[in-house]
Amino acid sequence: MLKFALAGNPNCGKTTLFNALTGSTAHVGNWPGVTVDKREGVYKKGSVPVSVVDLPGIYSLSPYTPEELIARNFILEEKPDCVINIVDATNLERNLYLTTQLLEMDVPVVVALNMMDAVRKKGDALDSARLEKELGVPVAEISALRGEGIGDLMQCAYKAAQKKREGSSVLAHSSLSHLLADVTIALRGEGISHPLFHAVKLAEGDEEEVKAHPQQMQTVRAFQKQCAGEEFAGDLEAQIADARYKYITARFSAVLTRSAKPNTLSGSDKADRVLTHRIWGIPLFLVILFGIFHLTFGEDLFYLNAIFKIGFDVETGNDILNSFVAVFFSSAGVSSPGVILFNLMDFVCSLAGDGIANGVSAAGAAAWAQGLVNDGIWAGVSGVLSFIPQILFLFLLLSILEDSGYMARVAFILDRAFRKFGLSGRAFIPMIMGFGCSVPAAVNTRTLADEKERIMTNRVIPFFTCGAKAPILAAVCGAIAAQYAGINADLLVFALYLFGMAMAVLSVAVMRQTTMRGEVAPFIMELPAYHLPQFRSLMVHLWDKLKHYVQKAFTIIVASSVVIWFLSNFAWNWQMVEIQNSILYDIGAFVQWVCTPMGFGVQLGQFGWVFVVAAVTGLIAKENVISTFYVLAPAIGALIPGWDDGESGIGPVVALMEATGITWQGLVAFTVFNMLTIPCFAAAATVRGETPKGKFRYTVAFWMLTSYFTATAVYLVLSWWWTAFILLALAALFVAYIILRGRRAACRMRCGAEK
Amino acid sequence: MSNLLLSAVGTAVTIAIAVLAVGLVVFAVWYQIRCKKKGKGSCGCDCSSCGGRCHTQKKDKE
Repeated sequence: MLKFALAGNPNCGKTTLFNALTGSTAHVGNWPGVTVDKREGVYKKGSVPVSVVDLPGIYSLSPYTPEELIARNFILEEKPDCVINIVDATNLERNLYLTTQLLEMDVPVVVALNMMDAVRKKGDALDSARLEKELGVPVAEISALRGEGIGDLMQCAYKAAQKKREGSSVLAHSSLSHLLADVTIALRGEGISHPLFHAVKLAEGDEEEVKAHPQQMQTVRAFQKQCAGEEFAGDLEAQIADARYKYITARFSAVLTRSAKPNTLSGSDKADRVLTHRIWGIPLFLVILFGIFHLTFGEDLFYLNAIFKIGFDVETGNDILNSFVAVFFSSAGVSSPGVILFNLMDFVCSLAGDGIANGVSAAGAAAWAQGLVNDGIWAGVSGVLSFIPQILFLFLLLSILEDSGYMARVAFILDRAFRKFGLSGRAFIPMIMGFGCSVPAAVNTRTLADEKERIMTNRVIPFFTCGAKAPILAAVCGAIAAQYAGINADLLVFALYLFGMAMAVLSVAVMRQTTMRGEVAPFIMELPAYHLPQFRSLMVHLWDKLKHYVQKAFTIIVASSVVIWFLSNFAWNWQMVEIQNSILYDIGAFVQWVCTPMGFGVQLGQFGWVFVVAAVTGLIAKENVISTFYVLAPAIGALIPGWDDGESGIGPVVALMEATGITWQGLVAFTVFNMLTIPCFAAAATVRGETPKGKFRYTVAFWMLTSYFTATAVYLVLSWWWTAFILLALAALFVAYIILRGRRAACRMRCGAEK
Repeated sequence: MSNLLLSAVGTAVTIAIAVLAVGLVVFAVWYQIRCKKKGKGSCGCDCSSCGGRCHTQKKDKE
């Protein structure tokens, strides 16, 4: 099978083209650095199937970053039949820098001029025929986003793959030409493939090449000595970069004819003046984020009820019709779109639950079997399923921000704030990915060059509330809002999301002053142009999420629900008993005291252990916290006469609040503990993989201690406001200790240097 | 006779539910192991293509 590689600068549309060619649904983001490893797919639309490899975005083929190393090694070692170099046509000259390096390899190259639709929209003209002539390789105009020109591109690639191609360099016209020719001939004589490429890299002083070809390096050193008195003082790497850019400017600037005057601001530039403003940038981001949470979790849309008293319960005399109307309106006001979706799904789940319960009962199944199906399997699964539409709606809104290019701006505006705390804006990209799932976010930290920054980012990624934790926040905040007038679910969810982010920044600041000292890596990021999110791309994001939520609901969640139901209904002697005599009761009660400082320990009486058990099951998958509530609520309800177990909606959480007497402060502390503690097994395993050996145990200790002490502090401050002063005094002492320790360490370093 | 039949159906449904419950737990465990072997994230997110797990394994071997 033919093998084509897709190579290009970050955010030039490689993954979009990869998805269009292979029909894959790989994650595409409108920011640089989304792909950190190569991925493969098969193009089947042509005459013969082709294996297509999507390489991570790179600016050069020098192994400065892991992405550059992956791309370079793939082309050198795997020997693709053709390299499709994707060039962002709106940034032609900068993108061609990589092209000039790819051309030095002995591999067929085809240049795909991507985003041609954007070029035409701006009124610019690009002479691709002239570009093809200058480069000496085929050039095809495409728009990966719209799927234009992809067939022609593949035809060009097919043709190119049929012929062998010898590397050529734009440096052939520079003062380095003789040196490169000599080294190339010598390397070719040794039977080394891609001799021209290796010769150029050797001249650049590439460490790997120097080690591999020490003899030829002597020729390079001799040349360096000759050039010592010249413009670049023997710095051949700088000389080569300069020669490339000079060549590109001289030959290719005429290829593009711009219609607008260079000083005219584009729409993106105008939007950036507001959205990336140094003062208004962060407040605007917070307003946008709050808008998203309001539309997703708000019980009172646009606060119409709070302002105009628009809130009512409709009584139709029919239970099912009442439930259906309550999907849209309640005494709290008009529901937000996210809440409507939740109510609708909950309504459907209730109907399905009733149907299942009636069916199992009519079939004459034993009482325990009915309990297992209704209160175990279905309660656990429906608890998670009912939140799926609401969480998907949240992801839809976040995906719109991401695809439009706004999230890249957020990284830019937060860089200034992050830098003060010891983290670069680059680290914000994996953190933002953490809002979706901690696993790809942890993998993305590979792009961070500084090891300390990578460890710190991995440690704080779980603090960014992922999709699996979102149902916990939705259920708990919804229950608190339902029980306590004056607390808004959307405001509480927003506050908790922000709290997670603040804890991440604070943790980094503390680590930077203690165990992770060091300079903050510089952050250079190319801001992509704003564009309207593509419907297909958004749907792909949502489909991916939906598919995996459902997969998880019917695997991990079902299994956990069955186990929890079994443990809460059986005693150690395998006899079916009431919950207060069950195995789970004994285990929960045994560890319940540990959570007392956080407000959900022994002060809650005989059923308080429910929260401890929920937190522990959350280690397998965070959705388990909710499914545990839904499984245990009916069992607890059975012991209290006349008690409504609230099988639907946020009912089970409200019911558990009433049964255990947990305060809203305790519930908030419980949520904070779940947000900050050890993430699910999958995320923890990935962080372990991305953390240097021996460091992971400290990471686990960090998660446990941070979550425990933070949840305790939250509970204390929310319950007794004056404890805030004591905690602030303790925090001040801690900060003073850190500063003193830092000064002492700096002094020691200075003394050492003087000696 | 009809009571006997109803009782038999009830017993069969009960056994089926028990088998289903055990089957679901076994399937979930098998599915997690399969996902791990295939390099897919058991958390359900789409990280299979990045091969993060393989890198982890390689790193560990090194």
